[in-house]
Amino acid sequence: MGPNGGGKSTLVRLLNGLLKPDSGAVRVLGLDPAEKPFEVRRRLGVLFQDPDNNLVAPFVEDDVAFGLENLGVRREEMRERVKKAIRDVGLEGFERREPHTLSGGEKQRVALAGILAVEPDVLVLDEPTAMLDAEGRREVLDRIRKLRRTKTILHVTHHLEEVLDADRILVLNGGRLVADVSPERLVLDAGLLRENRLALPPVLRISHELGLGFCRTPEDLARAILQKAAKRAELR
Amino acid sequence: MKLELVDVWHVYSPGTEFEVAALRGVSLSVESGEILGVVGGTGSGKSTLAQHMNLLLTPTRGRVLVDGVDAAAMRKRDLRRRVGLVFQFPEQALFAPTVEEDVAFAPRQLGLGEDEIRRRVQNSLEAVGASHLTGRFPHALSGGERRRVAIAGILAMEPEVLVLDEPTAGLDPAAREDLLGLVSRFRDESRSVVLISHDLDEVAEVADRVCVLEKGEVRAVGTPAEVFYENLDVAPATVRVVSELHGVYPDLGRPVRFGETLQALRGLLEA
Repeated sequence: MGPNGGGKSTLVRLLNGLLKPDSGAVRVLGLDPAEKPFEVRRRLGVLFQDPDNNLVAPFVEDDVAFGLENLGVRREEMRERVKKAIRDVGLEGFERREPHTLSGGEKQRVALAGILAVEPDVLVLDEPTAMLDAEGRREVLDRIRKLRRTKTILHVTHHLEEVLDADRILVLNGGRLVADVSPERLVLDAGLLRENRLALPPVLRISHELGLGFCRTPEDLARAILQKAAKRAELR
Repeated sequence: MKLELVDVWHVYSPGTEFEVAALRGVSLSVESGEILGVVGGTGSGKSTLAQHMNLLLTPTRGRVLVDGVDAAAMRKRDLRRRVGLVFQFPEQALFAPTVEEDVAFAPRQLGLGEDEIRRRVQNSLEAVGASHLTGRFPHALSGGERRRVAIAGILAMEPEVLVLDEPTAGLDPAAREDLLGLVSRFRDESRSVVLISHDLDEVAEVADRVCVLEKGEVRAVGTPAEVFYENLDVAPATVRVVSELHGVYPDLGRPVRFGETLQALRGLLEA
């Protein structure tokens, strides 16, 4: 996380070898992405922001297979992997659909399937929901959540609510790493939030203001309010 | 000025197998000095609607009226000067070697004098908080900075209606807030804004009226309280919290903005 211009996208580009560091070293699973971009990209897949820039082929299944075609995977295995990847993003039945007929959320899931088919160890998501509506956003986040623990995930976002269940949050500002904290600590640190132009989502802001702790959803918050009101009534 | 859409239909690729009716009889008005929020899912027709507001797309059927006059009869140049349209990801259209020249491009096309162009460039860059970027190369700026410069390019035409299609997508929270401040100031000069956004929380914060589009039709239009409390599936977090509590506390009212919602909830807990 971090403000626009903080260095998030530059970091992503350094990780897959699209950019080379002026000094210092980048290592992905021990490999230098600038030296061995293709080997690194097989192990580290990047999902970019704009769903329309992530797709290339005429049909969904060709798009998902695209990355594999360049890896020399056997035809049989390729078919298996494409099938599994499409299932993993919940798009069975979409194999012969044309990408331009899909919604934004569906396009992003196709792009995600294309990355998963390559079976990378690391998944990098660069604001994957920035262009999606509420429903598309939910679909994509749902799929990302299901991938937890199966891969290392680096998720770049401006929406704190998308990474509340992350193990760590790194904050980049002015090209520097300024924090490496748990989500619970970050949401409680008003100074850190302010200095890095981060905003709490409305539900968390209200629950803080009312002293109700860590509420994630409107339903959680409503429940906490009812409990507190009931307690007050009892005390009286 | 008042902008009206009267029974507007738009069909893409008519007569082919790709035929899609993106707008199906949309009637809507944008009053002078108001912020109209337009929400709706992907494919609801929001962007198609935006492009009808200055007739970049012409309706397959129906009319667009400017102060009661058919916009199709106006000179396109005048129409597009008066109705400024900011596309999704407008920074992709930046092209000049410096920020200043990019923002000056449209006013120059209007045939204005150099002094007037300079004044407009200065004012619009100031309005988006980008005065310090004047001499910079647009492509060396950050995403948020480029977005602001692109919007300044439209402001430099001094439009009476500003149509913004997903202006905050990909912006950090502070940049988002700055942009919403700009939208409110624009309204305060009694010009109007059409804010198309999938961020319901931000629409709730600034809109005077809200329109919900669904599959090319207007599903609801009215004040934020009317629209959101009747259509909870497209309601912001504030409204969803309060409506959860209405069963037990029917007197909570219908707050929408963050501040008024917080106040209502605080009242409940402190009563």
